[in-house]
Amino acid sequence: MLTVCHLYPTLLNLYGDRGNIIAFVRRCRWRGIPVRVREVNLGETVEFKGIDFLFLGGGSDREQGILTGDLRRHASALAAAIEEGLVILAICGGYQLLGLYYQPLVGPEIPGLGILDLYTRAGTKRLIGNVVIETKLDGEKVRVCGFENHSGQTFLGNIKPLGRVLKGYGNNGRDGFEGARYKNVFCSYLHGPLLPKNPALTDHLIRLALARRGMDCPLSPLDDSIEHLANKVMLNRLGVAKG
Amino acid sequence: MGIRLTAAILAGKAAYCVSRLGGGKGSSLPGVVALRIYPGILRVLAGQVENGAIVVTGTNGKTTTNNMLARVLESYGNRLVVNREGANLMNGVTAAFLKESSLRGCLNRHWALLEADEAAFPYIAEIVKPRVVIVTNFFRDQLDRYGELDKTVSLIRTTLTKLSSAKLVLNADDPLVAQLADTGLPRVFYGVGVPTGGKEAGGVTREARFCPYCGENLSYRYYHYSQLGAYRCAGCGFVRPRPDVEALGVEVVDGVTRCKLRVGKKVVSVTLPTQGFYNVYNALAVFGAGVQLGIAPGATAGSLTRYVPATGRLQEFIYKGRPVYLNLVKNPAGFNESLNLLCSTREPKDILIALNDNSADGRDVSWIWDVDFERLQERREILRFVCAGRRAAEMALRLKYAGVPVQRIAVSPGFAAGVRQVLEGNGSVVYLLATYTALWPVEKILRRYAKESNVADRLPSLSHSS
Repeated sequence: MLTVCHLYPTLLNLYGDRGNIIAFVRRCRWRGIPVRVREVNLGETVEFKGIDFLFLGGGSDREQGILTGDLRRHASALAAAIEEGLVILAICGGYQLLGLYYQPLVGPEIPGLGILDLYTRAGTKRLIGNVVIETKLDGEKVRVCGFENHSGQTFLGNIKPLGRVLKGYGNNGRDGFEGARYKNVFCSYLHGPLLPKNPALTDHLIRLALARRGMDCPLSPLDDSIEHLANKVMLNRLGVAKG
Repeated sequence: MGIRLTAAILAGKAAYCVSRLGGGKGSSLPGVVALRIYPGILRVLAGQVENGAIVVTGTNGKTTTNNMLARVLESYGNRLVVNREGANLMNGVTAAFLKESSLRGCLNRHWALLEADEAAFPYIAEIVKPRVVIVTNFFRDQLDRYGELDKTVSLIRTTLTKLSSAKLVLNADDPLVAQLADTGLPRVFYGVGVPTGGKEAGGVTREARFCPYCGENLSYRYYHYSQLGAYRCAGCGFVRPRPDVEALGVEVVDGVTRCKLRVGKKVVSVTLPTQGFYNVYNALAVFGAGVQLGIAPGATAGSLTRYVPATGRLQEFIYKGRPVYLNLVKNPAGFNESLNLLCSTREPKDILIALNDNSADGRDVSWIWDVDFERLQERREILRFVCAGRRAAEMALRLKYAGVPVQRIAVSPGFAAGVRQVLEGNGSVVYLLATYTALWPVEKILRRYAKESNVADRLPSLSHSS
């Protein structure tokens, strides 16, 4: 039984983010892998040891302010779980939160959880639009698409990006990187939501979660024609379709 | 200036003719052209309207509310400027004035009834200086254009504080709207005063979970849909205000909605020739405007009985003896209401969903993942879902992950093929749900095959009580 945890679903659920949970759960169930979802809200306790896949979504500034304090209680336990291989997908606000700090346009910097070596600065222009990035999953190049909408510009320290931007802005619109990746943590600015039309990434996360529980076996294939069609529509439109 | 004004009007009217000849609606293009030639044209035309402007803003219900109110005012012999088709940015509003203006720029109208996009409201309101502002509700909509909902609300608040002579008509059931009362302008509240069996939307599309004043969780006695309901903040005491116009009972029978309303101390019955619970809110807003304008509630009720829905507002057509409904969908709250409607009966049906991602639709289509399609997975009477539009595949994907069997999902990006396919389905009723820029092409194709039916013709007569 895999346990999926949606952290602060009422606060961090912008731009259809829950679609990521839906995709992870469906693709497990279609293969007969038992899975359940736990939602953890403000003030509730969470035991990271019992979780296989943790999802951190994005929120509006106000919502993010409310939860940062609450999440700080969990910071050291979360850091330990990450070192031990917990599979995490963090989108947008959730991504920024795992970093060192957020520097607003005015006022002092807001400390993050300080788990990942990256920081975010508020930009004056919102970075909005469809994005395609290229990432490597198990050595294979995959084109991942989504929609970004953020004013924060993120810069990576000693940490790998999730991928290279083919179309769109990515982390900051300057260095050509998108997202971040550390151990089994995947961070990205891509909404859309990210997982449904990028099934290779979803399956990669499922495999990592199973492997962490000692079930290191290939996943049975699914008919992904609608997934690939949805992905291809955007790749074609942005002129970055392969072949 | 006079020459430029005339030139702008001429060019605008010419653009209208060209647009109509080309099969368009001429609802925006004339405004684009005229504003380019003479940017001050809206101020000149709006300044001539005898009684001033009434502006409807908010996320959902603007077009219907505006058109219902037009019906009421016209029944008193008023001549109006109305942007009926829902073109609600600066261009569309300007086009509505151009249509009624003489070539010299003279306008002989009693009222301007304008719906304004939330983001365009500040600009439009600054120019037309509305006498009455109706705010319907705030839901997540087209976020890539606006940033975030909080920002939209605060822009509207700032604009209202600058309109010293405006009166407000506010939805009491939406905490995000009700808070606008603190602008200090004279206001009338409207709301639905009895539980209607709505569920909390699973914490999914509810926007206003937190008190706008102190950030505490709002607690609800009941919900109608999304964040609309009877709320109270335990932190600071912010509470749903008592409405001046209130629905006391709502009943939908045979495609018509009957409700009992309290307007001040008076109780009236009103029959709306349309389904859809959200239309009760639209009607309440019109009664609220009636209060601000001094119109007797009985007269408003009489006019609403003869209301004919505008394009894509649950417009009814007939194809081979079967009803076909065309409805606009543009955000999770509105889409969920459409699903409520098509789940309200068990008759076999075929559905077309046309999803575009042009800027007027919102370029980010991720909002469809906040719509509760999961409730459709067990609905076997829905025989086929045809997905059309620029993001047809994305729509099909959403349905697949909602648990709809893939054999029942068809992807047909072109509208013509999609409409034909859904009309030839085996169900006894057809629903076409389209986003904004998909609506007109779908309607145009639909008219080739199906005839619009006038719902008002088969209505029972209106009853009053006091």
